[in-house]
This record gives sequence, structure tokens and C-alpha cells, in this order.
Amino acid sequence: MSEKPESYESAVERLEEIIDRLDSGQAGLRETLELCCEGRELVNYCAAELDAVGEGLKELKLDELAAKLDSQAA
Amino acid sequence: MDLPGPFPVGRYARKLEEEMKKRARVQLMGEVTGVGRSKKQAFFELRDREGAVPCTMWLDDFERSKLPEGALRDGAELVVAGGPDYYRGGSQASPSFSFRATHMRLAGEGDLLAQLEALRKQLQREGLFELQKQLRRPRLPKTIGVVTAETGAARRDLLAGLARRGWAGTVVWGFAPVQDRRAAPAIAAAIQELAARPEVEAIVVTRGGGSLADLWAFCDETLCRTVALLRVPVISAVGHERDSTLIDDVAAVACSTPTHAAEAAVPLDCLAARRDLQRAAASLRRSGEGAVEARARHLGALARGPARALQRQRSHLNQKIREIRAASERGLAERTGFQRRIATVVLRRAQQRAVERAAAGRAEERRRGAAIERSAERALQRRRQVLERIALTLRAHDPERTLERGYALAESAAGEPVTTASAAAAAGAVRLRFADGRVRAEIEGDVERET
Repeated sequence: MSEKPESYESAVERLEEIIDRLDSGQAGLRETLELCCEGRELVNYCAAELDAVGEGLKELKLDELAAKLDSQAA
Repeated sequence: MDLPGPFPVGRYARKLEEEMKKRARVQLMGEVTGVGRSKKQAFFELRDREGAVPCTMWLDDFERSKLPEGALRDGAELVVAGGPDYYRGGSQASPSFSFRATHMRLAGEGDLLAQLEALRKQLQREGLFELQKQLRRPRLPKTIGVVTAETGAARRDLLAGLARRGWAGTVVWGFAPVQDRRAAPAIAAAIQELAARPEVEAIVVTRGGGSLADLWAFCDETLCRTVALLRVPVISAVGHERDSTLIDDVAAVACSTPTHAAEAAVPLDCLAARRDLQRAAASLRRSGEGAVEARARHLGALARGPARALQRQRSHLNQKIREIRAASERGLAERTGFQRRIATVVLRRAQQRAVERAAAGRAEERRRGAAIERSAERALQRRRQVLERIALTLRAHDPERTLERGYALAESAAGEPVTTASAAAAAGAVRLRFADGRVRAEIEGDVERET
């Protein structure tokens, strides 16, 4: 798995599928290792998404946002 | 111009006044603005989204309406009863038109609800309630927009709700008045501005509770149409649970409180999600390692399998060997006993046969002894006869016998026979042996050859 997940929810959905599959015990060794690898990437992605909303609330006002965007554009 | 008149304007103005007063008396509802008072009457405008009417009311009538103190103020929703009135003015006074109110009351829930219901049906018919609900709402938005009053409990409650979610992303505030006739356009503008920002993934519109009149801005048709057509999901949390504004109908999600709005804006409980993610990571780790370990164990077991099977076979074999040995020892013992018994019998028989043979032998020997003796005697006799014959033959060949018959034997001095004339000539002398003794003889002359 190398494609970035579409969204947090799609990543979690896939992760749940993977864990269900692994828990079923029906995956062969190669599949298990591939699923684990994919799962780890998804966990990392989800962790990064959670980190992005876990580092302290930022509050902007509309006009401040506009000013910020303008300065970035400049 | 083929029209009646010209009439004097004063007459026309009076006629107009009379016509106006003939018009049906009705009730009007709208928001009050521009309240003012003179000595005799109160005046204000009554307006809504579509238009406005200037109103006047004699103070006597106003007093009789028994409105609460301060109820006639800008922003109040009022119902007035009356009819159109035209003041024709005069040579000095300016004319004016107004709706002459004779009765007045604050707009009640019933009035507003009836109006709201009509609008609600209209928007529903147009399918505007469904549009927002079809939008995808991200479970974990990084940026949300919030339209609310800059001061007020709603803002605080919303932040508390987000904090409880463990969410600390970015909030973009679109502050707007949330009550009075300026509110709806300001709210709509704020929502549109927020929706124009690509990073804003959801918009919360919230204010605290109040009467339906207080919340009337959120039933504004333009505002509600704006929300319905927005491509960013709008979460409304206006008033309390029992209040139902039109924005609730068109929004993607309607919440009863700002706290609930926080949960709807960030559907994911980030605290729980972090725990779940840790569990998922642990589960993956276990599965990955477990799969390898389990298979390694299985492989190990498989690898030990042949050895175990071999060991089993070996034990089996050893067991068989022990059994065989035990059996053969038993068999041997039995056989030895048997053989011993056999041997005893055989030996006894052999002994007996030997004894019998010995006895027979002895008889035979005795028989043979006699025969031998007889045959030895015969052999002796035969040998004696042969000997006699040989002796006779020997005697016939004995030189002594020859000598007896008159022959002499020439011998050398050493006693060796001299057998040729040459040898005798060479020797010069020989001894001649006769049967009765020897004489010396000299050889004379040469050898006379026999012809």
C-alpha cells in the first residue's frame, strides 16, 4: 500500500477491515505481513491526522484569516 | 391627453383620504424599526424581507394596547391592526401616507409559527431540506468555521464541547449579530465567507435560546436558501431543544445545543480515536509478530516431526526387539529343554547302539582273527614258496655257482672285477678267483681281439 488514504474515515475503515481479516486467522503469512505493513502505514496516517488536531486550538477570525491568506499570497 | 380633469389638488387629496379610509381593516406583522414619538402619536416602520409600511398610532390607542414597557422598540416583532390612512396636509403642512394602527400586540408564537410553517412548506417543496444532508461530513475536520455572536454562552459552550472531544484544530470565527433584522443578512454573509475558504470543512451556526421572535433571524428565507445551497455542511444549533427554526430544517445537521454542535462538527471523539489507534497498532504488531512466531513454531514442530516419527519408530522397534528377545529366550529355554530331552534319548539310544555294535564287533573280530590267522599262514606259505623260487633263481645267477661250473673271475688287486681284456692288459696282473680260492696271474702279450 503506497497511496495516501482519501480521508481519516476511509483509513480507519480500511484499518478495521485489516484487523478483522487478521483476527479471522485466515490470512496466510504473506498476506498477514502485507496487511500488517499496510495497517502500520494507515496507523501512521491516522496518528498524523490526530496530531494535526491535537497540538492546541487555534482561533482565527474571518478577517484575520483573509489577512493571513493575503500575506501568504504576497 | 384624453383624461378627466384637471381637478384642484386639494379636492383630489380629500378624495384620496376618503378612499383610503374605506379600505378594509387588516392585521400586519413585521419587525419594528425607526420608532419615534410626537405629542399625540407614535410612529415606526413595520418591515420584513419583502417590504415595509410606515405606521402611526395615536398615543391613546397605544396606551389602550397595554404593551409591556419598552416593547415598542427596534427589532420587535409586532402585530398591528388598522388600515391605510392618508393625511392630506394643507397649505403649510406636508401630506403623508401611513398605516393607521388602532391596536398593537407583540407577535406571538402562533403568528410566527404560521408564517414559519408556510415558508417551511415552500422550501421543502423546492427540495431544499435535502441538499445539505447529502453532503459528506468529514469525521475529523482540521478547520471548522463558526458563526455566532462574539459574546455569549454559545461560543464558550462550543469550545468546551470541542475540548471534550479532544479536538484542538483551527476554528475560524465568523462573528455576526444573532438577533434583529440585521442578523440574517450578516449571518448569511459570514457563512458564505467561511464556505469560500477551502480549508473550512464544516460550518457551525449557533446561538443560545430565546423566544421564536428572538430566533426569527434564523427563519429568514434568504439565509435558509443560502445555507441549503452551500457545498460545505452546516451544523445548526439555534436556541434550545424545543425551538425549531427554519435553518434547522435546511442544515446538514440540527443540534439542540452548542455542545452537541461541537460533536456534530467533529464526529470523531479524538480521545477515543487515539486510544483505538493505539489498540489497532498493538493488534497489528501482535498479528505481525504472532503470525511469524506461530509459523516458526509450526515449522519447528514440522521439523521435529520426522525426528519424532523416527523416535517413535525406534521405540517401536526397540519394543519389538525386546519382545522378540524375550520370546526367543522363552523359546530357547523351551527348545533347550526339548533338545536336552531329545539328546538324552538320542544319547541313550546311541549308547545302546554302541554297546550293541561293540558286542557285534567283538564277535566279528573274533571271526576275523581266525580268518587272519588262516590267511597269514597261507601268505607265509606262499611267501616261503616264492622265496624258495627266488633262492633257486638267485642260486642260478650266483657267480659262485658259475665258478663252481669251472668259470674264473678276474679281479684287480683291490678285488674289483676286471671285465675287459684291455683292462687286464693294462693292469699287467690280475687275480683269478675260482670257486675254491684265488690265484695271481701275470698277463703276457697284447690283447688278442676276437674276430
